[in-house]
Amino acid sequence: MAEHAATSPARIWTMRAVYFGIALGILLLELLPLQTQPRGFAGPDMILLLTFTFALRRPEFVPPGVVALVMVLADLLLQRPPGLMAGLTVLASEALRNRSEGVRTLPFTVEWFTAALGILAVLAGYRVVLAIFVIPQAPILLSLSQLIATVIAYPLMVLGSAILFGIRRVTPGEVDTLGHRI
Amino acid sequence: MAKERRQDVDYLTPLRRLLGSVVVLLLFALFLFWRIDSPRVERFRAQVVDQVVPSFDWAMAPVHGTLNILRDFQSYTRLHQQNQELRRELQKMKEWKEAALQLEQENARLLDLNKVRLDPRLTKVTGVVMADSGSPFRQSVLLNVGARDGIVDGWATMDGIGLVGRISGVGQKTARVLLLTDTSSRLPVVIQPSGQRALIEGDNSAAPPIEFLEAPELVRPGDRIISSGDGGVFPAGLLVGRVAEDPGGRLRVRLAADFERLEYLRVLRHLGTESIGDPGSLIEPDLDPEAESGVDLTTRESTDG
Repeated sequence: MAEHAATSPARIWTMRAVYFGIALGILLLELLPLQTQPRGFAGPDMILLLTFTFALRRPEFVPPGVVALVMVLADLLLQRPPGLMAGLTVLASEALRNRSEGVRTLPFTVEWFTAALGILAVLAGYRVVLAIFVIPQAPILLSLSQLIATVIAYPLMVLGSAILFGIRRVTPGEVDTLGHRI
Repeated sequence: MAKERRQDVDYLTPLRRLLGSVVVLLLFALFLFWRIDSPRVERFRAQVVDQVVPSFDWAMAPVHGTLNILRDFQSYTRLHQQNQELRRELQKMKEWKEAALQLEQENARLLDLNKVRLDPRLTKVTGVVMADSGSPFRQSVLLNVGARDGIVDGWATMDGIGLVGRISGVGQKTARVLLLTDTSSRLPVVIQPSGQRALIEGDNSAAPPIEFLEAPELVRPGDRIISSGDGGVFPAGLLVGRVAEDPGGRLRVRLAADFERLEYLRVLRHLGTESIGDPGSLIEPDLDPEAESGVDLTTRESTDG
């Protein structure tokens, strides 16, 4: 119910464009040839985090189509098997979207835990599918460090998106532009 | 009014769920398609990269520049110390220059003695690194030269000194270089001076391990590693690096190329190693021209006259 008519269509489409824009910006920064030496650890997967933050806080801004577009582009540019990470992310973000309404009234730690479960599901599922299809994959330590870094970075992403783009949780008494309770 | 909205939602929610599942199915279908017919999808990927990355260029250049300035700024703080270091290095370099000049003369003399012909077809195209793979899981860089510059899949890529990787994926304006450190990189090499053949298998570390070595006891840390040209993909004799031993006793390559700073890369044009398919035929004496057919005889006469 909350997804529908919570905000004016203009704002929804602006925020969808903003989401797409940030994702493109993150890709651009990742593609900069600053570090061509192999690293022993991996930083957080920022696009995944961004998607989950939006899916848990304002799900109406990240419809599956837009998430799929961003993730397929990332798959293609970052030399991942195209479609796999994208499919898993869309699945997980849909699951988070369904929980977003319940999480809304609970403390932040619960939200964090839910997001962590989603991240774990995507990254573990990715490795499992790669193993099933006998595709060579990165060392396990690298994936583990990415998982941990991504989970730890979730509050930062929440803070950043709240300050910069006003992605706050819907508070219980809030009304939409038409005056409906959401 | 609230009732109206509820009906509206009940009608929309399943529709959105359906849309979500269709999107997920399409994505997994794309993945399956990639697994089955990977060359076609990889070609598509090369096209997408070809379109997207050069269009990022206007944004990447200033960001990259600023970050480099910041890095350089840090080094200003130890300017004096660096100056001293440079002076010392310059002194050492002068020594080396002298040695190199002597060696060059000696080399020229020896080449002359041996009548060695270096392969004249090994020419190169130099490209600038535009982007890296963007994730710590893949080791590759994107060059700003592509099919329009005549780049072909599989060509060797070097920085000034050593081998860096090979071309894997060519777009119209861009080409991807798979670095030796990538997990899917395999390179047949020869270790000098023992002449042992081995394979260098990238494993996402800065010093890839040496595998399939027949007699490891013949190989010492510090031995030179050059490409062997086995498999016909790479030209033989390109410097890869030196042997090093890690704390676990495993032999690894200390790569000669400076992977810290990949900026300009040379792509070597390689037109394939010629193979000898002829088993060697009987060598016969020249036949008497009279014995050959009349037609041949007339043509020969006409060319003679």
